[in-house]
Amino acid sequence: MKARQSRITHVPLARWLIIEFISLGIISLIWLLHSVLAGYSAFIGGLIFIVPNAWFVHRVYRYQGARSAHLMVASMFRAESIKIALTAVFFAAVFTLIEPVHVPALLFTFAVMVLAGGVIRWLVRPQPWR
Amino acid sequence: MDISMVYIAASIILGLGALATGIGFGLLGGKLLEATARQPELSNQLQVKAFIMAGLLDAVPMIGVGLAMYLIFVVAG
Repeated sequence: MKARQSRITHVPLARWLIIEFISLGIISLIWLLHSVLAGYSAFIGGLIFIVPNAWFVHRVYRYQGARSAHLMVASMFRAESIKIALTAVFFAAVFTLIEPVHVPALLFTFAVMVLAGGVIRWLVRPQPWR
Repeated sequence: MDISMVYIAASIILGLGALATGIGFGLLGGKLLEATARQPELSNQLQVKAFIMAGLLDAVPMIGVGLAMYLIFVVAG
């Protein structure tokens, strides 16, 4: 029997995505001052973080509530595996298919977005439905 | 520089990153289940905290994946 998927917590996925895209735009504009190549490389580096992470958030909050605790943890493990696999595939695709690419801009923006993502989730937390 | 050393370096980065993430997520998921079984009324707050910790937990391995892909496809490729 499939567990009921209740929505107890409101996940601000849209707000997180908006803040992440604004941060990515600012970082890309800063790199754009260096060169156009660095600008689009930085944007791609940010996208490599945002897309798998959005998938992770979507899958983690698929199940909520104490009755679905085992499904919640299983979903989290599966989502994390797929997130890391997607990140590796995206990096491999960028390094093989996109030519030329500014590697420092790409990796720096990715690292900054990874750290910023944790801070954003800490500051804008999911809230219970009122 | 021998190219095989680059592949060894990338595999060490990926392997240790995967090992550390596996241990961390195992502990996190186990504690989440344990705490939810003890206090089911707090399950939503626990899930939020586990989710935030998961984001912090995989930050360094994710950067490691990026560096390893760079080593494999750009430095060695």
